[in-house]
Amino acid sequence: MAAALQERLQTASADFQKIQNDLSLAVDARQKLEAQLSENELVKKEFASLTEENTVYKLVGPVLIKQDQTEAKQNVDTRLEFIRGEIKRVEGQLKDLGEKSEKKKLELVEIQAALQQQPTNET
Amino acid sequence: MASSSSAQPQQINVTDLDVPQLADVRRQLEEELTHLSNSYAQLRQAQAKFKACIDNVGQVKPENKEKTILVPLTNSLYVPGKLLDVEHVIVDVGTGYYVKKTRPQAMKHYESKVEYIRTNLEALQETIQKKQENMNYLINVLQMKLQQQASGKETKVG
Repeated sequence: MAAALQERLQTASADFQKIQNDLSLAVDARQKLEAQLSENELVKKEFASLTEENTVYKLVGPVLIKQDQTEAKQNVDTRLEFIRGEIKRVEGQLKDLGEKSEKKKLELVEIQAALQQQPTNET
Repeated sequence: MASSSSAQPQQINVTDLDVPQLADVRRQLEEELTHLSNSYAQLRQAQAKFKACIDNVGQVKPENKEKTILVPLTNSLYVPGKLLDVEHVIVDVGTGYYVKKTRPQAMKHYESKVEYIRTNLEALQETIQKKQENMNYLINVLQMKLQQQASGKETKVG
């Protein structure tokens, strides 16, 4: 009985570890997206204050390529849209993982409580 | 931003926690503090870089027109060049975009960047200070608990 419980504890804690791992990965992804979002928003703000004579260049590999202002603005807008979508996706992932980890935690606590209730004087 | 996602019940009184829990909280606070101070240092560096840019833009002035400069091709290879257009510079605005700006525009751009970072630095400084205060309080409580524990054990033994 105790051995079975031990085994359950092991698998549950392994699962929990994995969920925690995924969770921290998702948090990292979320942070990266946040950084990208703010950078793109800064660029958008910068573009909004440009005048006609401000030529826009885009860095492609090692060279700068002249780009149409409206095209560049559109580009940033689509990027912002994409990033916002990604953030929503990762946010859902985070919520999901958070719930999962909460559940596993409860399971772990249960198993541990059960283990403690086992008569230890047998050993 | 990250702290809002981990919705921990912050209402727990620190004095209700036992010593191992307090130690955990302390470790967590320590991690946050080092992270924040690292961010602070990084922001400082970025600000210094932008300030250097302002100086550099200031050097592209009409008096220096047609003067020979050394253009770095790599970190260690330079070729002589001549300053022709002293009215325009090309500014990196982020995410791979560069914009040709007049000198005053570029100056303004960098100045607003420096200012932007300054406000961020101030906000960060404030949070660091608050965290530090939390930390001090926590350490006080922890020491108190440890003392209590020690004296409690003594009475039990005696």
